[in-house]
Amino acid sequence: MMKSLSIVAEGPGRYIHWGVIQISVANLVIIVAMIILFVLALIVPFPSGHDEETDQERRQK
Amino acid sequence: MTTSTGAKSAAETTDPGNWTNRLRGRIEGLVPPGEALPDRQPIYVASWIYVFGVLTLSSLAVVILSGCVLAVGGVQWWHVSSLGHYVNSVHLWSVELFFGFMVIHLWGKFWMAAWRGKRAMTWVSGVLLFGISIGTSFTGFLSQTNFSAQWIAGEGKDGINSTGAGAFFNVLNPGQMLLWHVVLLPLVVVLIVLIHIIQVRRHGVVPPLDADLEG
Repeated sequence: MMKSLSIVAEGPGRYIHWGVIQISVANLVIIVAMIILFVLALIVPFPSGHDEETDQERRQK
Repeated sequence: MTTSTGAKSAAETTDPGNWTNRLRGRIEGLVPPGEALPDRQPIYVASWIYVFGVLTLSSLAVVILSGCVLAVGGVQWWHVSSLGHYVNSVHLWSVELFFGFMVIHLWGKFWMAAWRGKRAMTWVSGVLLFGISIGTSFTGFLSQTNFSAQWIAGEGKDGINSTGAGAFFNVLNPGQMLLWHVVLLPLVVVLIVLIHIIQVRRHGVVPPLDADLEG
């Protein structure tokens, strides 16, 4: 397993060429994963705890 | 330095000519009372997008801790020890997570225009932190003591030297790069992180655009 992983890490890597854009598959996968994570962070509901109050309400007390 | 008790000491604590008093006043005034470690947050903070700043900080803590362990073993420890290899991998992947979380944090703050409400310095310190973190990771790649580090140094030298920085930042000098990586740049990163957190606590977490309470 370790040997196969090291081959993946140390290989020349696969690249995607699209006009002037050239990017490795590994970097593209990471960027797409980050964009998916970003979108999920915006749309997935956050587990709500006890009653929150606005910053303004809190500072008025 | 003087020592005293009773009423005189109370007068001394408000003496503006005393640098200790002035420094204490400055530290106490850095953030509003109760805002340094708040136990409650505005309702709009209940969103996953607000979690990425803390995730970035948590990753940084793992980066620093694993870096300290690597420093005990030495710069070539990870070549000869499975434990060293493991700690080196923890260091690498916590850096990967640090940058991943930081960039998502950056996207979130950019699209909510987080510099609103006198938060310009919060934004600027974050941008500085991003740039210096890239430089810190660069010196880390130069400190791997392998052919990858040699190749990166060889490829980077001309660009760095053309800026004039090569006089005190020689990428072909692994000893110098290691010291920049483990002493100088981490100090700057931690200092700017502190400034960034103080700015956040000072001005509060930025509200979303459609919930701008400051008008």
